Amino acid sequence: MDELYLDNIDEYVNDQNKIVTYKWLSLTLGVHVNTAKQMLYHYLQQKRNESSGTSLRATYLVSGKCVENGSTCHKVSVVREDKLETVKAKMDVTISVHVYSVQKAELKDSSPLYNTDYDAVKENLKNCNKYSAIRCAAAVPMSSAELQKAQEMALAPPAEREISKPGLNENTSATSKPSAKQPAGIMGMFASKNASKSQESSKEVKTEQKDDSSLVETSKSKTASKANPMSNFFGKSAPKKADEQQNKSIKEETDGSSTATATASMKQSQTSPKSETDIKEEQSKVSSAKSKDTRNKTKRAEVVDSDDEKMESQQKKRRRIKKPQPDSSDDEVVPDSPPVPNVHTPSPKKQVKREPVSHQEESSGVKRRKRRRVLKSNTFVDEDGSFVTEKGYVSESYSESEEEPEPNSQAKDTSSLKQSFGKKEAEKKEKSQKKTSTANKPTKQPSIMGFFQKK
Amino acid sequence: MATLTRQDLNFGQVVADILCEFLEVAIHLILYVREIYPSGIFQKRKKYNVPVQMSCHPDLNQYIQDTLHCVKPLIEKNEAEKVVVVIMDKEHHPVERFVFEISQPPLLSISSETLLSHVEQLLRAMILKISVCDAVLDNNPPGCTFTVLVHTREAATRNMEKVQVIKDFPWIVADEQEVHMEEAKLIPLKTMTSDILKMQLYVEERTQKT
Repeated sequence: MDELYLDNIDEYVNDQNKIVTYKWLSLTLGVHVNTAKQMLYHYLQQKRNESSGTSLRATYLVSGKCVENGSTCHKVSVVREDKLETVKAKMDVTISVHVYSVQKAELKDSSPLYNTDYDAVKENLKNCNKYSAIRCAAAVPMSSAELQKAQEMALAPPAEREISKPGLNENTSATSKPSAKQPAGIMGMFASKNASKSQESSKEVKTEQKDDSSLVETSKSKTASKANPMSNFFGKSAPKKADEQQNKSIKEETDGSSTATATASMKQSQTSPKSETDIKEEQSKVSSAKSKDTRNKTKRAEVVDSDDEKMESQQKKRRRIKKPQPDSSDDEVVPDSPPVPNVHTPSPKKQVKREPVSHQEESSGVKRRKRRRVLKSNTFVDEDGSFVTEKGYVSESYSESEEEPEPNSQAKDTSSLKQSFGKKEAEKKEKSQKKTSTANKPTKQPSIMGFFQKK
Repeated sequence: MATLTRQDLNFGQVVADILCEFLEVAIHLILYVREIYPSGIFQKRKKYNVPVQMSCHPDLNQYIQDTLHCVKPLIEKNEAEKVVVVIMDKEHHPVERFVFEISQPPLLSISSETLLSHVEQLLRAMILKISVCDAVLDNNPPGCTFTVLVHTREAATRNMEKVQVIKDFPWIVADEQEVHMEEAKLIPLKTMTSDILKMQLYVEERTQKT
């Protein structure tokens, strides 16, 4: 190897203040990626020996096996130099370490690394794996007939799956193809992880191989888990990676993805911008869903707690909730229905409640006050504009005869914070076995026992 | 693709939109890279097909948006010469000035189909350059704040003072001490030239920062 490349790299790094990644270098100089990696390594050594390399920083790609949460996984990460030793120590077996990039700037996050490679790969899209080390004979671009067929297939199944898996339809439908093209020689687990990961990575048109943030990664792993039967694998690795803030993890070995993605990206180039935004939307949805879930739980706990104080005496009386049981003493048999999203304005509820109440009043001439626990699920839009579904137990009292407590109870319900318990559930109320008839007791607050009930 | 010339108001708006979007991303990125605000408020978002760091703090976002909303009419009429993001230390002396020099060619026309993707590529390169600018700049002292200055022609300044584009968001003539910096070092970062826009980004840095 002639030594000209060292000057080249020097010029890029010091004069032009560029980030030189091995992939960018291989595409720029037209050399194999392994050669590029060695070039960077030599450059780094030389500069460090000359002690003029103190301003140089490097990132490394580390891949190895480690055990997380009890399951072994193959982890591939891009790490900064200062974290290199710690990451290597965490791994049981370090399979490969090589220089990922050399630059003068201390990078705070991994976005510039992606940015660097983006244009270089975009220009060489059709042959971006020309210098790659991973080969797969089966990975050839599809003919136009096959391409059309794949697109038609991609359109049909997602229509069904759209409801349950927003943003994943194109991922899942095209999963089979790239997975077939996975290079051999990578362990099976990793290959199936590649299948879903390559989907997502291939979606990013320019063969992005890095997940920049742990957040994106977490969400990706979540989306992958839906598509991939190896969901346990992801579910466990995701929280761990969230811990390592400085660790920039790569979902798939960079070399490995280029083969699959080159072909996948071609056929998916049309769908990729959309799916990329889908992924980002998914990410934001997932992250917001996550935050919403935690918020939900805290809200529910708060709600339940505050209600507990009010209704301690009555808690013990009603323990069991909502087993579908026909009650002989009641006219209506109310099956246990799954939580139904309610409209949550108080006034319709009042009206709806009045109807069944009056109906019951008419139907049975017995003056009796019953209180029921009803599981209500309410979907509403909270102040952030996000949909929140809350499930809570409402113990509703209805009386065949007396109207007076009704306005009381209704008023109390409407005044409770963020509780929009649907009164239209009245006809679906369950009788609890230990129901008591308490006369003229105002309201119903859900008790903490509701939390343990079967829904 | 139809040829639009500068006379078309649409064209001016298109350029102003592109530029203001870019400036918003650039300002957020400068705040992130120079650590004006803690990195926890930043979140990765996508622009020009690459990840960028944008702040989540609503007040900050609103401030930046309002600022650029006022700058946009100036850009449409090609009256804005420079947009400067000034970073000041605790005593309100500027330590760094990120200067975006903007000029639009007089006889502009959008005639190329690949124009927008070309512009996107150039803007992406600008973003990349901002990300690595900490290699050429010294660290800032803690407790810095930032502000945005716009250099325009005199008539435009008077207009801006008279007409409040956004209610309760007045623009005032900048203090001399914010505009000029002693012992300034000039560090060019990036230049871009395209059919619709010419932009230069350089940093003026004070030699002694602490």
